[in-house]
Amino acid sequence: MGITRRSFITRAAVAGITAASIITGAGKAAASVSARGNFALLHDLDKCDGCPHLDTPACVAACRIKNKPNFPEPQQPIKYYWPQKNFEDWSGKRDVTTRLTPYNWTYVQHLEFEHKGQKVKVHIPRKCMHCDNPPCSTLCPFGVNDKTPEGAVIIDPKGCFGGAKCRDVCPWHIPQRQAGVGLYLKVAPDYAGGGVMYKCDMCHDLITQGEQPACVSACPRGAIQFGNKEGLRQYARQWADENNGYVYGDAENGGTANFYISKVPFEAINEAIQAQDLDGKPGKIGMPVNIENPLDEPGKMMSGFLMAPVAGVLAAAVSTYQIMKGGTDDED
Amino acid sequence: MKIKRHNLAIRFTHWMPALSIFVLIFTGFGQMPVYKRYFVDQLPGLGWSSNFLITLNIHYAAAMVLIFISAFYLTYLLRSKRFDIIPRRGDFKESVQIFASMVGLTEEPDNDKYLAEQRLAFAVTASSVLALIVTGLVKAYKNLPGVSFSPEAVFWLAQVHNLFTVILLLSIIVHLLAFLIKANRPLVPSIFTGQIDTEYVMHRHRKWWERINARAGLNLEDQAAQKEAEAIAFDEDGMESNAASIG
Repeated sequence: MGITRRSFITRAAVAGITAASIITGAGKAAASVSARGNFALLHDLDKCDGCPHLDTPACVAACRIKNKPNFPEPQQPIKYYWPQKNFEDWSGKRDVTTRLTPYNWTYVQHLEFEHKGQKVKVHIPRKCMHCDNPPCSTLCPFGVNDKTPEGAVIIDPKGCFGGAKCRDVCPWHIPQRQAGVGLYLKVAPDYAGGGVMYKCDMCHDLITQGEQPACVSACPRGAIQFGNKEGLRQYARQWADENNGYVYGDAENGGTANFYISKVPFEAINEAIQAQDLDGKPGKIGMPVNIENPLDEPGKMMSGFLMAPVAGVLAAAVSTYQIMKGGTDDED
Repeated sequence: MKIKRHNLAIRFTHWMPALSIFVLIFTGFGQMPVYKRYFVDQLPGLGWSSNFLITLNIHYAAAMVLIFISAFYLTYLLRSKRFDIIPRRGDFKESVQIFASMVGLTEEPDNDKYLAEQRLAFAVTASSVLALIVTGLVKAYKNLPGVSFSPEAVFWLAQVHNLFTVILLLSIIVHLLAFLIKANRPLVPSIFTGQIDTEYVMHRHRKWWERINARAGLNLEDQAAQKEAEAIAFDEDGMESNAASIG
């Protein structure tokens, strides 16, 4: 097998990161503190035709084959999330390919709508956006959801408790839960935890070996690209300039590693998704434009942490001065 | 007859942390996905409790209050040099003696303004608060856009923060359980009003009582002078006079 130019660049970049972390001697820790991800995916909605000739789009099928060993095998019978009378179990619906489930980490939204008086068809391969500042990872109560130096956001299935907080705080609600698996079964399965959360991991094992994610390799139209993040971002912007087009995923949630380019504005696409794809249940996801990172708001409060101790010292200085001067409120 | 045990600054540094720690524990616990599952957010007025971002913002705000008070109290201690609550050598032994006296095994020691066990409890509570503030600040820093720590650091930071939460929670429970003991109950009003019965001080806080009198330069044997001392100790002034300087 010949080495294509792109795979050569990918391999070189991965080798570079590995070498750098070995040289610094700090390994994983140092690398993950500074690097905010070197790789990204780019979906060209102009090229994606949703694989009309196939039952399942090629990227979805490839993802399912590649990740089959990672799919959960729950212990039966599955218990309710007491005191609730429910649990999330997809093990009997493993062949669902039209939404995100623990057994289906990418799906294609097929939309048909009118835009500027013309009928348009848009097909959108959806999966984790691998955010630059992922709220799912930052807010994971168990610290088992990490942004890797490569850019992939990964949930550790061995440490995940399945509380589904990551799905709640994700602006797209992407991670999906399977009950009856994972650590919670060993702790207090009746009262805490709910399984393990599953989502796209950017084929982290493949990309660290210098290969492409399965969906990228499988696309028959080259509609999904994988590569250096900065390069793909520039390509997306340039493409949008030249084609009067639009980019999704660069600004959203403060930046992601998953770009979409389209000649139809994403506001129109999101409207069509809301009308044609969503069913109000987990696993069907919208495409809201310019969505803000939920952690921006708490981030703005940081100056309060700096001011609080200063104010405390000043207030005490005034108070002690008055008391020691012989104020009427002093203790005996 | 009453003696002034806690001035306004001290009562303020008791109740503000009490309030902020209550809010911090509630919202901190809410960082785990439990309030929705256990229908807490169905209770009237608590609909917000299952929204992680609302509870995170409240957690930050309450943390700022606690940091403000901690800085206030530390400065107050150092400037006033009133170290009555700071543990002393032999406090552990003395605490054991106090507990032994409760079941009639021995005599209770002469206590100062605070009991030995109160001084020890303060040390545990204060150091837990300090550890929670430090780890909490690092966690808040970690949550900033563009900042990320290694998975190991994130994991251990969370574990230490949670461990000290448990220690603090236990110390609060012990603090409240102490008032099941009848002998401690006259102390309760003083944290609200600042005043404590002179009678009680004379019996249970002998060392403190002697110090108050010594400061007044009086001889304990002299009954008339003692009455005078009590009159001096008796606080007749308004307590709210320096409220503005604290707030």
